[in-house]
Amino acid sequence: MIEDLGIKAAFASITGQALLNALLVIVIASLITVAVQKVLPRIAEKLGGKPRLYLLASVPLLRLLIILATVVIVAPILVEPSFENMVAIFGALALALGFAFKDYANSLIAGIVTLYEMPYRPGDWIEVDGQYGVVRAIGTRAAEIVTPDDTVVIIPHNKLWNSLIANGNDGTDNLMCVADFHLEANHDVSRVRELLRDVAFTSPRTKTWQPVLVIVFNKPWGMHYRLKAYPFDPKEQFQFISELTARGSAELARQGVKFVSVPVSVS
Amino acid sequence: MTDKANDNTADSCLPGGLIPAEQWAQPQTSVQRSLKDAVRHVLTQLQAGVSQAEEPFESMDDLPELSAAQQSRLAPEPDYSRQVEAIACSLKQARSEGALSREVVCLVAPPFSGLQQALGRFPEIGKPGVADSDGEGWSIIEPPHTLSFSDHDAGEWWDGRDLSRPWVIPELADFWLRSLSGLALVRELFRRIANGDTGPGIVGCSSWCWRYWGHYLENAQMSPWTPAAMDAERLGVWFSYLASGNGKSPVVARMTGDGLYVLPPAEAAEVEKTKGNKKRKYSTFLRDLAATSRGNPGVALAIWQRSLRAQPDDDTKLEEADDKSNTQNKAADCWIVPLGRLSLPSMPQSKESVTGFVLHGLLLHNGLDMDSLEAVTGVSAYELSLVLSRLKRAELVTCDQPEGRWQVTPIGYPTVRRHLQSWGFPLDQF
Repeated sequence: MIEDLGIKAAFASITGQALLNALLVIVIASLITVAVQKVLPRIAEKLGGKPRLYLLASVPLLRLLIILATVVIVAPILVEPSFENMVAIFGALALALGFAFKDYANSLIAGIVTLYEMPYRPGDWIEVDGQYGVVRAIGTRAAEIVTPDDTVVIIPHNKLWNSLIANGNDGTDNLMCVADFHLEANHDVSRVRELLRDVAFTSPRTKTWQPVLVIVFNKPWGMHYRLKAYPFDPKEQFQFISELTARGSAELARQGVKFVSVPVSVS
Repeated sequence: MTDKANDNTADSCLPGGLIPAEQWAQPQTSVQRSLKDAVRHVLTQLQAGVSQAEEPFESMDDLPELSAAQQSRLAPEPDYSRQVEAIACSLKQARSEGALSREVVCLVAPPFSGLQQALGRFPEIGKPGVADSDGEGWSIIEPPHTLSFSDHDAGEWWDGRDLSRPWVIPELADFWLRSLSGLALVRELFRRIANGDTGPGIVGCSSWCWRYWGHYLENAQMSPWTPAAMDAERLGVWFSYLASGNGKSPVVARMTGDGLYVLPPAEAAEVEKTKGNKKRKYSTFLRDLAATSRGNPGVALAIWQRSLRAQPDDDTKLEEADDKSNTQNKAADCWIVPLGRLSLPSMPQSKESVTGFVLHGLLLHNGLDMDSLEAVTGVSAYELSLVLSRLKRAELVTCDQPEGRWQVTPIGYPTVRRHLQSWGFPLDQF
């Protein structure tokens, strides 16, 4: 079968010297990839705002370019780049991947798709299958996210095909945060909305040029307020929500507006 | 004072006059200069963790600086009495042209523009023919000692002020604090202005404060006016005016490196040229300075004062620059170090956002004391004192005694603004 595919003929011309050269190119490419993956995120950490996001997003793209360049350089070193040889090699690769590493190949292809569709980039805050965190790195097969509790979660790229991926900031530094307030009914709704808006506007973390919204729902148990605003840095989101909640609660209590508390049953 | 005299004063004290804020444009600079600044900013951020410079403002030359007396003669602080006359003149002109129809005029300017100091002297020029007051004097509205008010108390406080007669608020930032109880006074003032419940008035406001209230009162359309940005030409006129005043001989300033002329401005030199002098070669220093300071006169003046030197470092180059046959070319009164050989104060390394809170809070309120800063930022007094002392060593903030009021320094303002932008904080429009 190998002979039928022309693999034997394609690899017949490989010499020891060619193998060494190809190995050298691969080692150099690997070193460059490692350097890019280590150095650029470190530089990005020192920069703020958009430059940080752009630099982080460029890491997987650079890695893809390095891989492509390596293939383009290595293939002619090993085999004569004729049409028959290329068909033979890629046919054999496809067979091997198809049978032995179906899921792996699936993730690899999804990984390439993520690079141009960009459902998530390094620096994005995403939620996949109930796991929320910031994308730390995008590998060939999987993406790494770090949860707010500092746990690294590996998400295979093939989740892209059949999972819902929620992206909080989508490559920008604008991430909306929501602070919830569950209040008893029978209070001045307009006054509470104004007050909660002021709570957001007086926070030092608020991006005041982005919308600050107070949404209210009438529920059977009382009123549910949602205070929506943007922090100046997505990394500040938990501090921001905590601050809005604490200051909002204190002011509501001062105004005599009571919170709803649900009885907890202990089994 | 005649109108012509007023025009001359306005030309020199307030080059470009007052313009609607939406017409404000940042002075242009060369692409090379912009790229150099951007690269320098990125490198500064990257180097922040590597080295910590002890010298906040570094001059990379060892030329003798001017004495205090020479500096106060060649680059003195502006005379705000003249500036307020220029503002009044500009407002009067805008009214006569129909560009200003509102009773209450909002004047917005970036920090260090001198607007607050100038408007504080407005009652001094409340003479017929200068301000549009029909002979009535203008009164300054002073801020209250404490800024915590309920809506009801804020209404009562404004009821106690006579806003039916011409009034001036030199700095609106003194009337509020970014805290839940600190917004009421300004909110009530804008409500009264929008309802037309006040007589003629002028509201001076720092651009950072104005931006905040523009976002807070999203439906308010106040159409503010602002001093035009100081481009190279205007800076030349203004520096010459400051150094020479009226009637004195024009100051000559030249670059230390190549001897190119900085002052007198090219326009004044044109007059001399027509008298027989040969055309002078001019440096791009003022253009670069205008871009670095974003057209802000206070910042430009601070950098200008730092760049003045008593003598150049290489006389031979100057001789080459001078046309030897031109005997009328005079020696300079002062020499200017190129901007590339001066480095503005740099931001101390800090991973915490506290530095940003402090600097943004100071700009938003045009300076604050320690207690107010604590209320505005939510940072503890202990931590604030640590941050402020670091920023003070870096020459980015200063503390005015005896009030204990912390402020961003004019020389540190470009660095502070750029870092706040990098960190994602809301900025002013200038």
